Amino acid sequence: MKFKRRKLEAVPPFVGMADIVFNLVLFFLILAKMQDETQIKWEPAQASGAKVVVKAKVSLTVDEDSKVYLNGKQVGLLNLTALVQAELGDSPPGDRAVLLKIHKDTLAATFEDLIAKVSEAGGEMVHVVEDERPQ
Amino acid sequence: MAAGPATGKGAAHAAWVMNLLTDLAFNLLIFFVVCASSAKEQKGKPQQVPSTQSDAKPSEAKQQNVEVAMTRTTVSLNGAMMPVPELKTKLAALLVNKAKPEDKIVEVKSAKDTPYSHWIQVTGAIEEAGGVVTLQVEVDKEVIVK
Repeated sequence: MKFKRRKLEAVPPFVGMADIVFNLVLFFLILAKMQDETQIKWEPAQASGAKVVVKAKVSLTVDEDSKVYLNGKQVGLLNLTALVQAELGDSPPGDRAVLLKIHKDTLAATFEDLIAKVSEAGGEMVHVVEDERPQ
Repeated sequence: MAAGPATGKGAAHAAWVMNLLTDLAFNLLIFFVVCASSAKEQKGKPQQVPSTQSDAKPSEAKQQNVEVAMTRTTVSLNGAMMPVPELKTKLAALLVNKAKPEDKIVEVKSAKDTPYSHWIQVTGAIEEAGGVVTLQVEVDKEVIVK
């Protein structure tokens, strides 16, 4: 008796693979975003008249321990002017926004120096604050 | 053709399509969740600090400008202590007759232990009163004694 050999058809699951690739892209996208600044601990100060923040190339954060971060990387205050200038490049006025995320309890000894240096670098400062809550 | 559970080859095809649609729906869900989480808006206050003056620089114009001094909890306008809401009204009265932006400069001097939360409220009040904030930063000078 002669048996007919069945042809084995193995089709790669293209649909499933595309889904996995898409999910991986999303995963790395989220990871890259989170690595920026989420590990920095800071609490915004409260102020009135805050507006929705525009997108900025430069973000300066001062955390609870008065450590300064430029776009998520810890930096010193000494060469901050040059670093901010390098980040801003030749951007025209109106496109030189620098987000200042300063922890509410930071002392003037730290933040005034920082503000002076951003001003020196030609940055347009935007203080990231929380809307004042009624007491 | 009657509706109902399909059998045979048709059933396999229907299962395949359903699987595809479920995957698509799941991916769309994740996509919109990510979009929503990244669209979380921040609020901020733009501030223009025209120039930074140092204590070491003696200037004639310095005496003409309004001066606001801050300590950890207090604020004073030209040496007179007052609460922040009062500062806004008094400063607005001082600046009302000044038309030029350079005349509206308010020198802000803060003690080294002034917290940012206090500083941002005071500078906010100055700006609301029409003033232009200029920082007066103390410069540490190294003096070599021979």
